[in-house]
Amino acid sequence: MSTEPAARPVLHQELTLSYDYAIGEVAGTFFDGLRDGKILASTCSASDLAYLPPRAYCERSFEPCDGWTEAGEEGVIEASTVVVRGFEGKRPTPVAIAFVRLDGVDSAIANYVDGVDCSDIDAAVASIAPGTRVRVAFAEEREGRITDFSFELLDA
Amino acid sequence: MTDPVGVISTFQTRFGSRHPDVTYVEQAQQAAVGALHAAGMRPDDIDAVVYCMAPTFFMGVSDADQWAVDHVFAAGKPFFRIHTGGSTGGSAVHAALGLLRSRMFRSVLVVGAERLNETADAQEILNLTFDAFYERDMPLSTNTSVALMASRYLQRHGLTERDLARAPVRQRRSALKNPYAHLKGEITVDDVLESPLIAHPLKLYDVCPRSSGSAAMILGDAETIDAFQPRPAFINGFSSVSDTYWLGDRLSDEADLDLGEMEIAAVTARECFGRAGITDPFGEIQVAELYDPYSLIGYLQLEQLGFCAGGEAPRLDAEGTWDLHGGGVAVNPSGGTLCTNPIAITGLVRAIEAANQVMGTAGELQATGVRNTIATAIGGMAQFTNVTLFGDDHRDTQEPTR
Amino acid sequence: MPRSRPTVHVLGVALADAAQRRDDVRLEELAYRTARAALDDAGVRRDELDNITLGASDELDGRPISSMLLAAPSGGYLKDEIRVTNSGATALGLAVARHLSGDFGLGLVASWCKPSKTDVPTVMNSRWEPFFHRDLGLDAAVAEGLFAQAVSAAHDLQEDELHQRTHDAMRRARENPRAVERPVASPEEIASSGHVSTPVRSRHVAEQSDGAACLVLASDAWMAGHPEHRAIATIPGVGWSTDSYRLDRERLGATASATAAWAAALRMAGGDAPVDVVELETPTIFHEAALTRVLPIGVARVSPSGGTFAQNPLTAAGLVGVVEAVLQVSGRAGPVQVPDVRRAVAHSSNGFAHQGSVVTVVDAAERLAA
Repeated sequence: MSTEPAARPVLHQELTLSYDYAIGEVAGTFFDGLRDGKILASTCSASDLAYLPPRAYCERSFEPCDGWTEAGEEGVIEASTVVVRGFEGKRPTPVAIAFVRLDGVDSAIANYVDGVDCSDIDAAVASIAPGTRVRVAFAEEREGRITDFSFELLDA
Repeated sequence: MTDPVGVISTFQTRFGSRHPDVTYVEQAQQAAVGALHAAGMRPDDIDAVVYCMAPTFFMGVSDADQWAVDHVFAAGKPFFRIHTGGSTGGSAVHAALGLLRSRMFRSVLVVGAERLNETADAQEILNLTFDAFYERDMPLSTNTSVALMASRYLQRHGLTERDLARAPVRQRRSALKNPYAHLKGEITVDDVLESPLIAHPLKLYDVCPRSSGSAAMILGDAETIDAFQPRPAFINGFSSVSDTYWLGDRLSDEADLDLGEMEIAAVTARECFGRAGITDPFGEIQVAELYDPYSLIGYLQLEQLGFCAGGEAPRLDAEGTWDLHGGGVAVNPSGGTLCTNPIAITGLVRAIEAANQVMGTAGELQATGVRNTIATAIGGMAQFTNVTLFGDDHRDTQEPTR
Repeated sequence: MPRSRPTVHVLGVALADAAQRRDDVRLEELAYRTARAALDDAGVRRDELDNITLGASDELDGRPISSMLLAAPSGGYLKDEIRVTNSGATALGLAVARHLSGDFGLGLVASWCKPSKTDVPTVMNSRWEPFFHRDLGLDAAVAEGLFAQAVSAAHDLQEDELHQRTHDAMRRARENPRAVERPVASPEEIASSGHVSTPVRSRHVAEQSDGAACLVLASDAWMAGHPEHRAIATIPGVGWSTDSYRLDRERLGATASATAAWAAALRMAGGDAPVDVVELETPTIFHEAALTRVLPIGVARVSPSGGTFAQNPLTAAGLVGVVEAVLQVSGRAGPVQVPDVRRAVAHSSNGFAHQGSVVTVVDAAERLAA
């Protein structure tokens, strides 16, 4: 048989599957906190680490996370990007996204960064460079999802 | 001379329809922590991690293993996921065996989790395993395919639906002693016959549930065994065989291996027993943990694996031959897959139960005088089968025979 | 008595004809033709095989348990066949272990991917866990943007270098008859291409393509029992490692899975032979810029095949790199042949933002006799 590409029709199918993901106790506590306008990090007394997103078990001490602490309202950008193309997220592009380590927490959590003027990409990138401090902004209407909050630049 | 590989520890969670208190990865973590604690090991004692996950379409996160990396303490370690459908757990144990025998690693954690009930579209997903071009538009499913096999089996051997019904009766009773089993209880043959018809001759109680849960097993080489486990279960035999995908090819007179009789199980077992030097399975093997998502499938395997003649397995069940203390071979004392089926790890649970029997840690399910046990796993509409043989001492692997 | 350092032998290899779209073949036809070609290259028959290792992704293949359909076309009919999902290169890692275990003699490793038939962005979005990341709409491009930013900071990468590297990779790919035929963009064109997810520009991204790769492997014992067969290469070492799922600066900038996999593979291979060629799996040019800095590649030529810019069949891309490495050490790389290659190393990455890595050491077969 020849391997010459031939013009063959394709069989088009679209699959839509729906899911109800169990949130569980740990993430459930976090999302309850969001509704109350708090960002709750799980803590491990053995390692003295605070985790966001929260987790049940401390991978470093090999002990269960045994407490909760409220994360600071501000934090520092660990990693960031301005998404320009082909993005099907909750917000239209271009849009800024960052992983932020909130004060008092030892790991970073992702969200959109508000107040970034993306009309000038270079300026936008510079404004969210790693090391930049941001604050948490809660949505007026909260539904217990990650989109209940975002980050905003301190000088915005 | 083959290097010894042994099971150091095992762990499984209680299985059920849902575990709303934890996320998928937290569930996987429970198993990893459980197996490490049972072994007296810490994450640093593990050289490599093998993750079990079958189709992710049920739980809804593609490459769920990558999400679980931190939770199963695999960050910074060699890690991969095995996926051979329903036979995944058995394949993962075989992968771990290869990693250890290669001398590249000394200890391997096999771990996985499954949750099947977070999508309402499970039947649609199962249908997707059939071919998009030729088969997907028909109501083909595992249920209907096994029903076809069952009709043929009953007719050929002069058996009735009543004969098949003994399997769920025996195994749900056995599962009463298994704290981890999903379905359990005292039911009668009539209860099975009166349960809702799925696809003639299969009734609801002839069919496994869809289960959620997690499981883990730690395996090690001779040095790790010396350090952590005075009474390991050695892997003395294994085999795995894949058949063609096309059902029609396995149902014709031209078929190399007939699907209706599940002849693939015989080929697979011969190779495993050949490696392990087993010549009389009924006389030499004390416990069989068989992957039996349908009442028919356990009986077919007993016959194909050489524990009895064709058509005899249901009759011997009536005589108590497959009971835990029935004097024959204890078949699925855990309740088997008929009582608990978390697809991605069902094969691993079979291996765990078989290893526990050798290690003497099977609790109320413990058989007496155990020297050899087997675990089987089946995937992809009886397309993939594997067998693993656990023994109480290390025996050199023989050349396999087909 | 210590046994001599065992190795795994490569008897034959094959690559599918790479193209942006292969609508002329079904997935299993692509797999079959590649497996068939590898067996022919090795001069062995399918019935001589005792094991098959597959590297394939259900989600990218668009079907649950894709190995149901693809095991037999890959030579797996009535064989011991096993599959890993992470990548074709990961499958090779497992296959090497199995051939060293004493339990297997002659096997085939196969991987494929047809991104053209799949909604890849949707699959990538569904790879994120649903609670903290997917709900924001994150996808692979976001992960690559974060990775690119972190490695740029860690290594002080300048845009000019990235544009030049991209241009050079495209030029090497242009020379490779096994690459997808594409025009070469100038550094200026690359510099003016729009951002996908900063700092990654569209021309910094290795375009996806349909493809497949296969290798036929044999153990020491099988080779000893079959003196009529000659290896075209050996694989004395393979290593793999996985990083955290977290995407903080430390994890992103460290490319730790690559260095860990490299160290494991080279330690296993032993000896201090210089590496003449490295084939890198680089979803973006930032990967190449970072990996050439963190991996001790010495004077090795980097991705003479054009690497991922020659072809990028996602799951199979790393195994394509292994085949290119085998072609280099066996003097069969054609127009992209580097002279006198004794040792080539193939790197593969998998998961978001370079989470996992596999490194395979490939030596020229004559090394055994030396």
